[in-house]
Amino acid sequence: MRITAKAKAENRMKILREAANLFKKHGFSQTTTRDIARATGIATGTLFNYFATKEDLVLALVDICFKDAEAEFQQRRRGRETVDELLFAHAAVSLRHLRAHRGYAEDVLRTGAGSSRKNRVTGEAERIRVTHLDTVKQLIGVSDGTSPEGAQKLSPTGLDLHLYWTLFLGVLNFWAGDESPYQEETLALLDQSMKLFVESLEGRQKSSLEVNDGPIPG
Amino acid sequence: MDRSLADLLDALPNEISDTAREKAEKSLRSLVKDLEHKPVPAGQLRRAWIFGSVQAKIAAAYMANWIRTGLSESEEKERRLSETRLKAALELLGGMGYLRGAMMKVGQLFANYPDIVPEEFASIFGYFHFEAPPMHFSLLRELVRGQLGADPEDLFDDFETEAFAAASFGQVHRARIKGSGEKVAVKIQYPGIAHTIRDDLRNMKSLLLPLRLRGDWDNLSAQYDEILGMVEKETDYEQEAENLRVARSAFGADEGILVPEVYSDLSTKRVLTMEFVEGIHLKTFLASNPSQEIRNAYGEKIWLSSVRLSSQKRMIYADPHPGNYFFRPDGVLGLVDLGCCRYLSDEEVSYCDAMERASIEPAETSRENMILAVDPRPGQKVAEDQLDLVKQFSDWCWEPIHHPGCFDFSDAHYFQRGVDIIREVVRRGYLRSRPVNNWQQRSFFGLRAMLYRLGAHIDAGSIYRMETTAAAQGLGEGDR
Repeated sequence: MRITAKAKAENRMKILREAANLFKKHGFSQTTTRDIARATGIATGTLFNYFATKEDLVLALVDICFKDAEAEFQQRRRGRETVDELLFAHAAVSLRHLRAHRGYAEDVLRTGAGSSRKNRVTGEAERIRVTHLDTVKQLIGVSDGTSPEGAQKLSPTGLDLHLYWTLFLGVLNFWAGDESPYQEETLALLDQSMKLFVESLEGRQKSSLEVNDGPIPG
Repeated sequence: MDRSLADLLDALPNEISDTAREKAEKSLRSLVKDLEHKPVPAGQLRRAWIFGSVQAKIAAAYMANWIRTGLSESEEKERRLSETRLKAALELLGGMGYLRGAMMKVGQLFANYPDIVPEEFASIFGYFHFEAPPMHFSLLRELVRGQLGADPEDLFDDFETEAFAAASFGQVHRARIKGSGEKVAVKIQYPGIAHTIRDDLRNMKSLLLPLRLRGDWDNLSAQYDEILGMVEKETDYEQEAENLRVARSAFGADEGILVPEVYSDLSTKRVLTMEFVEGIHLKTFLASNPSQEIRNAYGEKIWLSSVRLSSQKRMIYADPHPGNYFFRPDGVLGLVDLGCCRYLSDEEVSYCDAMERASIEPAETSRENMILAVDPRPGQKVAEDQLDLVKQFSDWCWEPIHHPGCFDFSDAHYFQRGVDIIREVVRRGYLRSRPVNNWQQRSFFGLRAMLYRLGAHIDAGSIYRMETTAAAQGLGEGDR
């Protein structure tokens, strides 16, 4: 029997909902795909038609959170933020939306979308990383609200984005174990990390300008 | 050489000569060795030095002062002391960064010890209070959402994204209550600051140790822990909200002293929403060249507010600095920021009463009470010259009250005498004291510094006697 695209989408959401409940209740490692299939009322084989692995399930949950976060972030932009504030807001809203999945999502995200090429898996995890970094790249490219007109825009290199992702994963790691109320200490760390990142970008750009503007040898 | 020791020596002011530096190295080495045998976390102390942070710089400045006072001629002491203070204050200004709230408080805390940070630097800290760069709005929004469950722009009307003031461990924003449109001040705390303060102050305790070698460390440790508790309490805005409610209930509507009302449903441990108090600060007020009469009227209110809170509510308002008073054009005095308050226990009230009685007795008969001021435990031995200093300080505190008629708080000589007594106490290492005295001392100095700057001439004694008599008869502000 063929099922409609609508029914398929509904099934997918139902699986995700049940999986999230089970992960929260029993933890990621203690929950099997069989448990999820049973809770959803489908055969285990059918589950694999939707998600190849348990990790993919978590990444799909993360993806939904990040999309919701992105929408909220864009809607709340005031247009006067500095680059570090924009980066902070973007990451902070993402973490807030991810809060419901704290305790397991970060592990999957860290290992699945880590910055180490060796561990990198393709597919969902890589797509999430690339989407996140695309937004970051755009945010860095926007004019700094506090800079004088005509100020040099920041243009991140691949290495810069690599540094950003490393910082973000570091914050994610801290966030996972942050026991302060509503993870307020993570907010402080995130704020400082984004400032550090922008300072490093500005510093690199400045030194590259100095080199370019220096006397021509010979 | 030990790495942390080298770091510390590197941080010493440049003008210290090589010979002095060599001597310093020797002294510091022996201090570090000594510290290792003391029940203090030497590892933590070293970490603080290696940290290369503001703490290390302050420590270096104090160390420099400590070295110099031991090495230099007495006539040069004052100048060098002043330089060191300046250096410490400037380093503090330069190195604040994210922890400015915490360090600002530490700076104010040191104002207890005028030998270390004298009254004149209060103005630098005052600047800090109001000109520190604010947290950006996106961080603030997350904090408010975490605390109150919604974004500030959804909770308030006209929430200003730029802070108008830095405050205890956070910053203050103007806004309006939805519906009623009442103007409010929303104080928001920096994330994780309470935790940071705890760590910083623990490090600071270790750093202060070298200055306290001749003192009674157990007692100093108890005092320090109480101060630490006080600063920790200040990070709890629910406690401050309670202090505001208590203080507000102490003044009648026609008394011209306004303590802002708290909006409890918009307040938590980290967010405090209160009535907005209009007005200007002392510096601007003085720049308008007010008449002596107006200065005195405000001076009376400042004095009255402190005496009333202590006599009627048993509350020591330990932070009477210029940033916390607002001068309204209609003559009303606004009293804000009541985070740093402490309530007296029955036993402490009895102690304060005993000290008051002792203030009118001659030195020979008040001796027992002076011992109590140093150490309440029975049978404690206290050096005669320390008792003499305690008596001198007590006399200094009570002088405006026992003075017949108006007392001239603008008398620089009077203020300086108080500073000199404490300086002498510090110099001789007589720092054993009841923990409550730290609060009293901070309150006494702050209040007198405020009245000194205001140039007030007021009948402090009459106000004091009227208030304490009313409190003893159980009269509230409405019964007067």
